[in-house]
Amino acid sequence: MFKSEPKSIVRFLATHFDLIRHLFDIQIHEGVITRQQVSDALSDWDSDVEDQLLEYRILTPQNDDFLISEPYFVLLEFILQQFKPLLPEEIDIYGQSIRTLFLQIREGIHLDRNILLERMDALANQIKKFTTAIRNNTTSLQHESRELKANTQNMEYEEKIRKARHLIEFYIMPLNTILDVNHSQSIYNELLHISQYVNKMRFNYENESIRRRFGKLYNLLVQSNTDISSQSAIISNELLPLIERIRTESEYLQGFHIYLTNGDCYKKYDPPALFSISRTYPYQHFVYENTKQYFEQFRHEESVYIEEAGAPEEQWIFDQEEYRQRLESQLPVDDFFSWCGSAISEDKPHFRLDEYFMITSLIFEDDYEIESHHPATNAILKSDDVQLVLPRLKIKKKHVSEKP
Amino acid sequence: MYPKNHKKIVTELMDGKFITQDDPHFQILKDHKEFYVRFFDRSFGYALQSTPEYHYLLSPDTQESTSRDISIFFSVLCYELDQEGRNFMDVLNFSDLHIDEITDLFRNTTWRDQVQANKQLNSPESLRRLIHSTMVRRNIAVKLPDDRYAFTAAYKYFIDYAWELVRPDGEEEEE
Repeated sequence: MFKSEPKSIVRFLATHFDLIRHLFDIQIHEGVITRQQVSDALSDWDSDVEDQLLEYRILTPQNDDFLISEPYFVLLEFILQQFKPLLPEEIDIYGQSIRTLFLQIREGIHLDRNILLERMDALANQIKKFTTAIRNNTTSLQHESRELKANTQNMEYEEKIRKARHLIEFYIMPLNTILDVNHSQSIYNELLHISQYVNKMRFNYENESIRRRFGKLYNLLVQSNTDISSQSAIISNELLPLIERIRTESEYLQGFHIYLTNGDCYKKYDPPALFSISRTYPYQHFVYENTKQYFEQFRHEESVYIEEAGAPEEQWIFDQEEYRQRLESQLPVDDFFSWCGSAISEDKPHFRLDEYFMITSLIFEDDYEIESHHPATNAILKSDDVQLVLPRLKIKKKHVSEKP
Repeated sequence: MYPKNHKKIVTELMDGKFITQDDPHFQILKDHKEFYVRFFDRSFGYALQSTPEYHYLLSPDTQESTSRDISIFFSVLCYELDQEGRNFMDVLNFSDLHIDEITDLFRNTTWRDQVQANKQLNSPESLRRLIHSTMVRRNIAVKLPDDRYAFTAAYKYFIDYAWELVRPDGEEEEE
C-alpha cells in the first residue's frame, strides 16, 4: 500500500531516471547495491531522495545493502532492453509449467468447465512468459556478443575466449536445444503439439464459449511459434556463428601474442616446417624443348636421291627404219626373237629389256608373214640380269615364195 | 602414364609453391593423391601434404629462416589489423591490401622489437621484397594491379601454427 499517488511515483521515476539507471547498472554488474554506493550516487546527483526510493519500494534493504525491487527491475530491463541472459534452466521452468497445464487440460477436458477455462488462461500466460523470456534472452545474448566483439571491457584474448566458450556452452547451445524443432523434447516441439490439439478443439468442442477461448489460445500459439521460430533463426544463423568466430579469432590473436611476446618467435618456438627449395631440379628447365627439337629433326626427313658421279651414258634411240632394212636384207629369218637379240647386241652389248622389245615390235609390220615351227620350240635369250624364254617364230616377206 | 600436367605440378611443388583450390592442378593432385605421395616419397624423400584448401611439399630439411619471417609477418599483420578494429580473417580471406598499408602497419606496430630484429621485415623495401618475391613465388600472396596484394589460402598454414600454441596439448580440432 503506497501513501502516494501512482502518478507521483511515475513522475518520480521520470525525474530521477538517471540516478535510478545508475543504481540499476550497479546491480546489473555487481548483483547488489551497497549503502555506500547509494550515498555516492545521491551525492553525485546532488539529490536527497533516499526516503522516496525506500517509500516507493524502488530500493529494498538487503541486510546492509540494497536491491532494486523486482517490478522496477523488470520495468527498467524492458525500457533499457538490457536483459540479463537467463540460464536455460530458468527458461525450462516455463516449459515444465506449459507441459503440466496442457496435460491437465487434456485430462480434464470434459470435466469442470471453470477450471478448464482457468487452466487455459494459465497456459496462455505461461506461453506469453516463455515467448517473452526467449525474446529477451536472444536480445541479451546478442548484446553480450556485440560487447564481446567490440571488446568494450578491454578483455585479454584469453578472457574473451573463455567468455565466448561460456556463452556458447551454457547459454546459446542449450537455448538452441529448447527451440530446436528437430529435438523431440524441445519446448518448441511441445508448443507445436499443443497447437494441433487446440486447433482441433476450437472446432470440435461442444460448448461455443470454450470453442472461442480455444480459438484465442490457438491464435496466441500461432503467434508464439512464429516468434520462437524467428528467434531460433537468429540464434543459429547469427548468434552462434558470431560467438564461434569471436572465439576463433581470439584464439588466433592469443596465439600471435604468445608467439611474439618476449621475442619468443626467435628464441623459443621453431617456425612451421617449410619446403627447402633445392636447385637440383628433376628436369632441366628446357629438357622438354630440347628433346622435342631432337626428335622433330627426324620426323619430317625428306627422301634424298644420290646420283653417282661419272660420264653420262649415251642414250640409245630405236631407229625402226634401219632395223627394218637389216631384217629385210636377211629374210627369211628362222628365229625372229633370236635375230632381234643378235641385232641389238651388235649396237649395244648391254641392252635393256625395254630396248629389246622395241625391236621385237617389227613383228607387227604388215609386210611380214609369221609362221611357227612344228613342233613348237623355244628360244632362250640371256641378257645381263634376265633370261627370256620365247617361242621360235619364222618370219618372211609377204607374197614372196620361198625357194625350195 | 603420368597424370596430366605432371611436369608442371612437380616443378611447382618443388619450387616450394602451395597449390591452392583455384589452381587447376589442385584437382589433379587431389585425384591422384596416392600416386603423388608415393612419387615424391620414393623419388626425392619428400612428403606431400594436403588440406582441403591447399597442397604443399615438405622436405627433410626446412627453410627455417623464411618460415620464421613469414610466420612473424602474419602474426604482426593480423594483430595490427585487429588493433585497427578490422577483421583480420575477412581481410586475409576476401580482401586485398596496398603495399603502403602493409608497410605502415609494420612501421607503427607495437611489436617493434620483433620487427626491427628481422632483416626481412625491418624496412619497407625488405618487406616489399619478402611479399613480392618470397611469398608470391610460393603462392602465399598474389600480386594485383596498383601495388596491391591478396593472400591465398596458404596463409592459414602460418596462422594455424600460431593457433596451435594456444590449444591445450592433445586437443583435437572439432569436426
